Order: sequence, then structure tokens, then C-alpha cells
Amino acid sequence: MTILTTEGLTKRFPQVTALDRLSVNVGPGVTGLVGANGAGKSTLIKILLGLVEPTEGTGRVLGMDIATQGPEIRRVTGYMPEHECLPPDISATEFVVHMGQMSGLPRAAARERAADVLRHVGLYEERYRAIGGYSTGMRQRVKLAQALVHDPKLVFLDEPTNGLDPQGRDEMLALIRRIGTEFGISVLVTSHLLGELERVCDHVIVIDGGRLLRSSDIGDFTQATQTITVEVEEGQEPLAARLTELGETVTVHGRLLLLSVRGDETFDAVRDAVCDLSLNLVRLEQGRQRIEDVFRENAHV
Amino acid sequence: MSEPAPTGVIHDIGYRHYDGARHGRGYTIRALMLHSLRGVFGLGRTARSKIIPFVLFGVMMLPAVVSIATMALLQRNMITYSDYAIMMQVLLAIFVASQSPYLVAPDLRFRILPLYLSRPVTPRDYVAAKLGAMSIALAMLIAIPITAVFIGELVIDMPGPPNTSGYVGSMVSAVVYAVLLASLGVTISSFTPRRGLGVASVIGFYLLTSAVSGVLTGVLLSMSRDDEAAWAQLLNPFFLVNSAQTWITGESGAGLTPYPDGLGGPVSALAVLVLIVLSVTAMLARYRKAASA
Repeated sequence: MTILTTEGLTKRFPQVTALDRLSVNVGPGVTGLVGANGAGKSTLIKILLGLVEPTEGTGRVLGMDIATQGPEIRRVTGYMPEHECLPPDISATEFVVHMGQMSGLPRAAARERAADVLRHVGLYEERYRAIGGYSTGMRQRVKLAQALVHDPKLVFLDEPTNGLDPQGRDEMLALIRRIGTEFGISVLVTSHLLGELERVCDHVIVIDGGRLLRSSDIGDFTQATQTITVEVEEGQEPLAARLTELGETVTVHGRLLLLSVRGDETFDAVRDAVCDLSLNLVRLEQGRQRIEDVFRENAHV
Repeated sequence: MSEPAPTGVIHDIGYRHYDGARHGRGYTIRALMLHSLRGVFGLGRTARSKIIPFVLFGVMMLPAVVSIATMALLQRNMITYSDYAIMMQVLLAIFVASQSPYLVAPDLRFRILPLYLSRPVTPRDYVAAKLGAMSIALAMLIAIPITAVFIGELVIDMPGPPNTSGYVGSMVSAVVYAVLLASLGVTISSFTPRRGLGVASVIGFYLLTSAVSGVLTGVLLSMSRDDEAAWAQLLNPFFLVNSAQTWITGESGAGLTPYPDGLGGPVSALAVLVLIVLSVTAMLARYRKAASA
């Protein structure tokens, strides 16, 4: 099943080429669209929504042609822009209800949906207050809520973690994961922070300068090398030495030790070494190769 | 004693899909129009945003109230229905200037427009809804006081037949005034995201046209060039509508000097149409451009 597909999509502006013969296929679930600022992510979303006409190429979203069926596409998709897009003088509830109506929902249904969606994105009592007084985190939630109020089949989230603090970032990413799995709504999420996408995406598309660098399942990105991260309170040097002695490949990253996994015996080695040196083990987690690395490799090709 | 069994349990029912009705464009245009119309009068907004529209509405009603009082006490109708809008033109201009930017500027300034356009709402729908809302608001502002006077006239039962044709004519012209003023006002305001600048531009447009029209007419009259003076008067959009109206109904005009006869009427009517079409075209072009930006 294909959610969206593009074929040789090109968009030239007088000054720049935003997209350059981009052909991608996106399946259901959460798909990350990764690229530096100006890589053409936002332009791609606008073309997929049928708002901007491509210079060349074709595309289909949920089986509908972007050139001729824009309104039909926009009826069943949601869009969360990168920029601020909220009026300060009305409440989140009122705003989301209005946006639901603008998607064709009857007022009563829009009210019910708005209450549901605002609860899901984590806005409770504050949703009756004017948006002007909201924090950045709350605004991002309202922006997300308006994209979901009409129960779309696909949402485009443009830089949803922009401007959030680390905790807000984690919460937003968890929410995006839930939208893709529990809510059953396909997600195309963009970010220039590559690392954060690997936590929530099933599939990642990397574009640079409007061209496709790579498109593959998240597994392919991270399977290449399996690493684990070990953190101890103190004494990482003796531990590193001990593990190297036991035949493990260890790199020290500040307070963290990164180990290449050979098999189950690597985990045993860590356990034994920590016990023998009577260290306080703070963290033992599965590290993965970062998407940054993949991106960097590709970018240099 | 046993604990009573819990009777209410909150279940997290999780995400629910929506499979109810999804209306088409007609519905969204109506919903946006109603939302905007409420906004023009500050309904559902802060108390402060209700002050200007309601004070202006109150002042609009004053001549009507006075007129009803004079009819009741002196048995004389002081007001010609078709003159009401001309008499109150400064007030109407202030209303258009202060409320038109409210309709369009925040959507540009706070960049809400992309949220509309990423829905089935097209630029044409958006323009139609905004112009519709302002037109309805203005038509209400003109029609309600006149209707009040007419009801007063009927209830007080003045000597002679009621001026029903004058009333009906003024209702029709109220719609024409409303559409013309809304088109001009909202179009001018749609070119700036700044509300203050929008207010200044619209009021500036009115002051310019009415001043130029007034001065030219005065100068030409003093030079006894009455024909040219009659035409100069039409530079003011209020007199333009009034001129078309007098041509159609045969009533006397409310201008400083009679409107040009002969071609004057048809030209005025045509000019009103052309102004509306030009404004709407400009506004559509403006939003089409915004949509692809």
C-alpha cells in the first residue's frame, strides 16, 4: 500500500531550484523527511497538498493526483505548518472547532472532535484560555490539534519539534509515534534534527538540495552496526580497560562508553566487568547508529 | 461493612475515528462567513472589541429614534429613507475602516491563512466568505435603522399613505451600498497585515474621495459650471450609489447639487458595478498569490 508517491517532481523558483527530479514512495506509518534548512521539505509538502504547482513531474497522495485533485486531497489530510499560525485572541477550543468546521465537519461534531483531539495532544483546562498566553509547547500542541481535528488519513507535520525544550521534544515525538500507530493516521514528519526522527519513524527519506539522497526503512539505517551505550558513575577508564582486555571494542565518548555488540557475550562481559570493579552502573542501553552518520556519509558521496 | 462497589470508572477510550458527515464548500463558506460576521461585531471576542461596532451601531440608530419621536409628537417624518445612508456616510465609512481590517488582517499577520488553504477552502471561497460577512454587517447597519423608522411610521399611523416604495427602494440600495463599501474596504485592507495601516488606508480612501469630490463640486458650482459639478460629485462612492438610485427610483438625490441627468444615472450604476468587480478581482488576485507563496 502506498500513501504517497512522486515521480520526477521538480520545482524551480526564479532564484533557486527547490526540488530536483524527486521520486519517492511513502507507505503507511510514520515517515521522516530529513534535510537541512532549505533542502526543499516545506516546498514538497505544499506541492503534495496541491497548493504549489510543480514545474515538472507528477505525484499522487492517497491515490489522488496532486495536479487535479487538490481539494479532495486537502479534505482528508492535515497540515501543521512550521511557522506560527495561531490567533492570539481566541481560545484553543474555539480555534480548533472553527478549523474543524473549515474541513467540513458540522459544528456539533467539530466540538466533540476538538475536545477529543485537544485531550489527546495534552491540553486540558488551559484550552479555554486565549492562545496569546500559551507557551511554545502549548502552541505546538494546538497546531497539531488543528491538523488532526477532522480525523485525516494522513498528516504533514512540518518541523513539529521546533522551539521545544528537550522534554517538550520527547513528548511531541511520543505523540507523533502514537498518531502513526494507535491513531492509525499516516504521518509525514520533517526535521533537520536527524537524530530525533529515528526514534519515531518507520521509514526515513533524506533529501538535500531538493534531491533524494536516500529512502529506506529505519531498520536499514540502524542495523549496520549494533552498539550499546554504558554509563557508570565513575571509573569509566578502568572499565574501558577491563572490557578491552575481555576482547570488546570500546570507544570512550565523554562519560559514556560505546561498545560494538559481538553477541550475547558482550552483555555478559559488561555485567561481569562492572561487578568485578564494583562500579555503579547508571545506564546500559542499546545504541544505534545515528541517522546523522548515514546522512553525513551520503552527503560526502 | 463492605465497601460499596465503584459505580463510575473513567475509561481511556483511546483515539476515536470520525465517520460522520463531511460537508462541502457551501457549508464551509457559510461557516466562515458566520464566524467573520460575529467577528465584525466582536461577538465571542473580548468586551473591548465590541465597543466600536456597537457604539457605531448605536449612533446609526440615533436619527431613527429621533425621527420616530418627531413622528409621534409632531406628526412629521423628518427623514427620507433613501437619504439615510448619505446622511450617515461618515459613520458608515468609519465602520468599514475600523472593521474591515479586522476581518482579513489577523489571518495574514498571524499566518492563519495557510491553515484555511490547506483545507478544502479555496482562495475564492475565502474571499467570498469575507466579502459576504462585511456586506451583511453593513446591510444590517443601514437597513435596521431605516426599518425601525418604517415600523414607527406604520405604528404611529401618519396622515397620508406610508412611504412603502421609498422604504423598499432604500432596502435595495442598502444592499448596493453594503456590497460596494465592503468590496472597497475589505480589498484595501487585505493588502496589509497591519490592522492600523488597514484602518488608515480605508479611512484615507474615503476622506480622499469625499474631499476631492466636495472641493471640486464646490469650486465648479462657484464658477457656475453646474454640469461639471454634478459629475464631480460622483467621485464620492456614496453619491455614486445615490445617483444610480435616483436614476432608478426617480426620487430626488441627497447630494449637494442634483446628479447629472441623461447619461448620469446609467453611468453611475455601471461605475458601481465596475468598482465592485475591480475590487473583487484585485482581492482574488491577492489571495491566489498568497496561496502559492
